[in-house]
Amino acid sequence: MLVDNEAARAAIVEQAMRDNGYRVIRRLETTKHLTQEVAQSQPDIVIIDIESPDRDMLENMSRLSKDNPRPIVMFAEEDDSSHIEAAIRAGVSAYIVDGMQSSRVKPILQVAVARFREFQALRSELNTVKSQLEERKTIEKAKGLIMKHQHCDEAAAYTALRKLAMDRSQRIIEVATSVISVMELMGDKQ
Amino acid sequence: MNIHHSSCHNHSHVKLGFIPLLDCAPFVVAKEKGFFQAEGLDVELSKEASWSSIRDKVAFNLLDGAHMLASMPLAATLGVGTVRSAMQTSFTVSHNGNGITVSNALYERMQRYADSPQDLHNAVALKRLLESEKNEAVRFAIVYPYSSHNYQLRDWLASAGIDPDTDMQIIVVPPTQMIDYLQQGEIQGYCVGEPWNTLAVRQGLGHMLTTGYEIWGSTPEKVLGINSQWANQNPEAHQSVIRALDQACRWVQAAENRIELFALLSEPDYLNCTPEQLSNGPDDDIIAKAAQQRFSGRRINHPSPNYALWIMSQMWRWQDLARPIRVVDVINQVYRQDLYCQALGLSVEDIPSFIKSANFDESVWLQGAIEGRVKPHPNGVIDGLILD
Repeated sequence: MLVDNEAARAAIVEQAMRDNGYRVIRRLETTKHLTQEVAQSQPDIVIIDIESPDRDMLENMSRLSKDNPRPIVMFAEEDDSSHIEAAIRAGVSAYIVDGMQSSRVKPILQVAVARFREFQALRSELNTVKSQLEERKTIEKAKGLIMKHQHCDEAAAYTALRKLAMDRSQRIIEVATSVISVMELMGDKQ
Repeated sequence: MNIHHSSCHNHSHVKLGFIPLLDCAPFVVAKEKGFFQAEGLDVELSKEASWSSIRDKVAFNLLDGAHMLASMPLAATLGVGTVRSAMQTSFTVSHNGNGITVSNALYERMQRYADSPQDLHNAVALKRLLESEKNEAVRFAIVYPYSSHNYQLRDWLASAGIDPDTDMQIIVVPPTQMIDYLQQGEIQGYCVGEPWNTLAVRQGLGHMLTTGYEIWGSTPEKVLGINSQWANQNPEAHQSVIRALDQACRWVQAAENRIELFALLSEPDYLNCTPEQLSNGPDDDIIAKAAQQRFSGRRINHPSPNYALWIMSQMWRWQDLARPIRVVDVINQVYRQDLYCQALGLSVEDIPSFIKSANFDESVWLQGAIEGRVKPHPNGVIDGLILD
């Protein structure tokens, strides 16, 4: 069973599981009826984002063996700690049905850990691209303001920005941001 | 400012986790009011989504320590509900703050079985209801299995003759979702820390029947939980954290700081709510009110061996401990009174400790716990324990 409110990540992990010969019997995006879902689907292992506020709910299930015929414990028995640490660092937590051999658990977790990492890398790449786009927009806007204010062309405006950046040993984006705020302030007073 | 970070050799970097609850206040205040910094610490606070996450991150060195349930360093060290990992506490952050609240619907039904308000207050009416309406499923929620909330609720139910495991059901729900669950009838009651009892009452969604303070007297609720390996390797930084939190606790307790405190806590990095949700004004002090939350004062902040003994008795009583343990050894290993006293220049002799008394017999004690004969002293667990 996979519990993840990040639909995209859940899909990646599920695909990877399937490629490795495992079956994801249930994928939950919300954890509203987590306890009932676990009792109904009776998974061998529940994989959940470590940051999920619903983890404490799962913790309780190891106490509730009478309600749940397949008690769940975190990290079957006492697996070696470097393995668990790797999982936690990647953001994976796993609840494993008691009695499931740790030799079977390890490869499943490794797949999940790898895919979580991959997803994180993808997301940070996306963020970089996004912020680059934002920066370009800001610089464009600053250029536009300078062109309007100084009645110059685009190349001259860009040169002015670059010179300012070099003089102040700042990045162009930082100078562009200050230019925009100064221009807007002046604009307000006109 | 970050540019200078690496050049501050004398500032130890410490990473501490917290759960956004009212009683994380000392951590927030120590950071925001500069108490950590004055002790030469560069503390990074990390907001965590669950107690399980706090425990795992401290266990695996992603955090050095955290705002923790007072029972958590014991449970982690014993391997109760988790992989065994050595944790310890040398500072108690708060006392009390829990309450038991039921839905309006359950309250109305309970009233039919109550001869007096006392019957509602001490669960006698609930016991009668469960006996007469056997087909009715009653479900209560707590926030974490190995917690004061769970054991207070169980103690309260058991004192009225209710078996929490067979007569009803106890489930876990995150604190932020408690009121929703209650409103939708998924649960009929809960035991949770403030502000979640007061908020349900204010919104007209439930009735607060009793408080943890009324059930057990004044008891430690949250502590500074530390990874024992980190504590051994960083004794000076650890002591600095204790001193900064001690100062922060005094600041939080001082009534004149309330407005500033609620403004700080309500920020997006912390509780992310409005200050009004924490206080309706000077006459509506959520900290001093029913739940008797305390952060500083006589016998508040020391690690309490009596409480450690009490909570392990409860774990034993409710079968959370798989095998007998040497409770005295565990207490000495986990509840480090020596480090607390060392950091603040106090004497260990002043800390009340039941296990040091001559007539303490571990096996007699644990048997008494199973039979529900172990009780807190009328003045609270700190003052002592009673074996009937």
